Amino acid sequence: MALPLTYNVRNVVVRWRATLATIFGIALVVAVFVLVQALAVGLEKSASNTGDARNVMIVRKGSTAESSSQVSLQQYQTIRYWPQIAKDEKGAPLVSADVLSLISQPRIDGQGEANVSVRGLTTMGILLRPQVKLVAGRWFIPGKREITVSSKMAKRFAHFKIGDQFKTAGSLLTVVGEFDGGSSAFDSEVWLDADEARSIFDRQSYSSMLVRATSPQAAAEISARIEGDKRLPLRADSEVAYYSQQTSTAKPIKIIGDFLAIAMSIGATFAAMNTMYASVGSRTREIGTLRVLGFRRRTILAGFILEGAILAAIGGILGCLIALPLHGYSTGTMSFNTFSETVFQFRITPMLAMKGILFSIIVGVVGSFLPAIRAARLPVIAALKSV
Amino acid sequence: MTIPTFIFKNALRNKRRALLSVSSVAASLFLLVTLQVAVREMTLPPESLGAALRVAVRNKISITSPLPARQRQLIEKIPGVEAITPFTWFGGKYKGEQGMSFAQFAIDPHALGTVFTDAKMAPEGFKTFIEKKDSCVIGHVTAEKYGLKPGDRFVLDSTVYPGSLTFTVAGIYSGTPDDRNMLFRQDYLDDSIGSPGYVGMWWLKVRTPAEMPAVLDAVNKAFANTSAEVRAESERAFQLSFISMWGNVRILVASISTVVVFTLVLVTASTMSMAIRERFRELAILKALGFRRRELFAFILAESFGLAAAGALLGVGGAYCFFTYGDITKMTNGIFLTFEVTPRIIGFSCVIASLLGIVSAIAPSISVARMSVVNGLKTLD
Repeated sequence: MALPLTYNVRNVVVRWRATLATIFGIALVVAVFVLVQALAVGLEKSASNTGDARNVMIVRKGSTAESSSQVSLQQYQTIRYWPQIAKDEKGAPLVSADVLSLISQPRIDGQGEANVSVRGLTTMGILLRPQVKLVAGRWFIPGKREITVSSKMAKRFAHFKIGDQFKTAGSLLTVVGEFDGGSSAFDSEVWLDADEARSIFDRQSYSSMLVRATSPQAAAEISARIEGDKRLPLRADSEVAYYSQQTSTAKPIKIIGDFLAIAMSIGATFAAMNTMYASVGSRTREIGTLRVLGFRRRTILAGFILEGAILAAIGGILGCLIALPLHGYSTGTMSFNTFSETVFQFRITPMLAMKGILFSIIVGVVGSFLPAIRAARLPVIAALKSV
Repeated sequence: MTIPTFIFKNALRNKRRALLSVSSVAASLFLLVTLQVAVREMTLPPESLGAALRVAVRNKISITSPLPARQRQLIEKIPGVEAITPFTWFGGKYKGEQGMSFAQFAIDPHALGTVFTDAKMAPEGFKTFIEKKDSCVIGHVTAEKYGLKPGDRFVLDSTVYPGSLTFTVAGIYSGTPDDRNMLFRQDYLDDSIGSPGYVGMWWLKVRTPAEMPAVLDAVNKAFANTSAEVRAESERAFQLSFISMWGNVRILVASISTVVVFTLVLVTASTMSMAIRERFRELAILKALGFRRRELFAFILAESFGLAAAGALLGVGGAYCFFTYGDITKMTNGIFLTFEVTPRIIGFSCVIASLLGIVSAIAPSISVARMSVVNGLKTLD
């Protein structure tokens, strides 16, 4: 490597005490940036991770939340026997009509209440969602007022432990099992029998239908047939696509993340500038020596900018490492789509880590630009004379 | 030269560094204030005048479950209840928009005069709202956003009910804690969906604050063990129940604030050490001249405290001016409304800044206290 480059690179290591604070400052900024964005990514992931590619989801046209959607019993009967819908070995169509309600439940930490999504579905409905696995206890038995809850929700709400009982809409429900939704939107739900849910919550109709199409082509046919039928004010979409659209909660988090990143990076840039100015100041003589040896101004400029960038990149990598232990950590907030508690995990993707490091390098380059110009402009004689 | 001028000159000797340090402290304090104000606005809804007399009645299952319209007659008979209105979420999307940008509720045409008395509006507005079934009133924030004037007509596509409805603006109101909402008539909604006999929730006006507990109790008991059990609570309690739905967001903001403060300490502390390291030789001379450790400590402390105070003045003062005189509603597109920088937040941020000044002085002071005069004089840079 050319001398000024090795010089600058080594400086980062040799003068570690002076640069440590700056590196750490940048690391914290990057950690905050990565963590907030990891929330948004986690929310989007849990939405896009939901559903089976072969399934078609049917909801009322115009409804944005499943809980405010309606599919009447008649509509259900009409669609149920369409030939595009796959059948099981006994010849029964792979169709589930679900009822989605929200119930207000106390949090486990006593911090007030929040809405919980309750899905009423049939055994077929469980079958149609292969990413959901029973992890403890058993599935609910229809007619016995039993529910099976997501294990992530069991950790967040009171009365969701196996054996617990709680009253809602005048009925006493017993928790009999826990399932794992495989980091999908189902992690934010509790399940019980569909017809039982209709009677408990006094619903005339279902909220949505989930059907397994015989082929991707059949799925498209189902959508087209519903779209073309005036008597069916419904909308059919692939299940995966339906859930992927449910990401409006992530948007404000992204905006907050960007705002924080910008505000904090201003402070960090000033700090980096300070360090680099001090660093240039105390190395005046060395810079003079480099100039005497014949290195050009622009080489010195580039060298110092590189030094700032390396310094910041170390901070960036450190920041990602600080954030990393929170990867996969479960948290929850109210979803704007479902108006209920949604559980999701911090997701630090390689892409996000790269963004964080890139962000730190920008801070480093901007912060070292002015000090580097100063270094490059030092008059040779004066620089050598300085003590 | 007096001691204060000595300290002052020392602090400003490297003007660029002083400026950079002050700016980075200011930027971080600005952020700290912003975070606190945002959390406060999210978790402590503004109180309105009529709140002490208002009661929210929602379905016990959850706020999204409707209530039967026939409950009205029973609630009206409860002693202490002065007025009642339905309050039904419409979930309408403004034409051409992807999502909902403001909330709409169906109410009783008289409710503006009886229950939601905070709303200020031209008298014709109230009159039209009572006379015309398809009329609505809109908060001035939303009205300005869409350029709506009294007499204008517009369509909303409901995400809750099938189809869409056309409304005529009767008036633009202001003076409520949330001047974004649109209110229209429950009977208009009922007509369009074939009177299913359900409403979203009830809002009541109680005659005197003293009667409040009795009314809450009576309403809750009136529907116990019916198919639609209710929860009646004061306006304040109702708002707070909404806030608890935000979940971990509060903790998140609190932890971010902590990181901001920590970064702040780090940056200021490192700047202070840098400034002192440069001056080791002079401090050694001062020591040789007979200045004591605590006097040197006072010099360092005063300088670091001064830097932090200047940063606080710029950052906290800047945030105060920005949020008080700037139009936050416009800037955030109506997400935040008041964004009030309270004395408490200012006080807290200033305490943080003072602590910052003190903490940053510690490390350099220790090294100065430890140094021997001879070694100090030998230092070159």
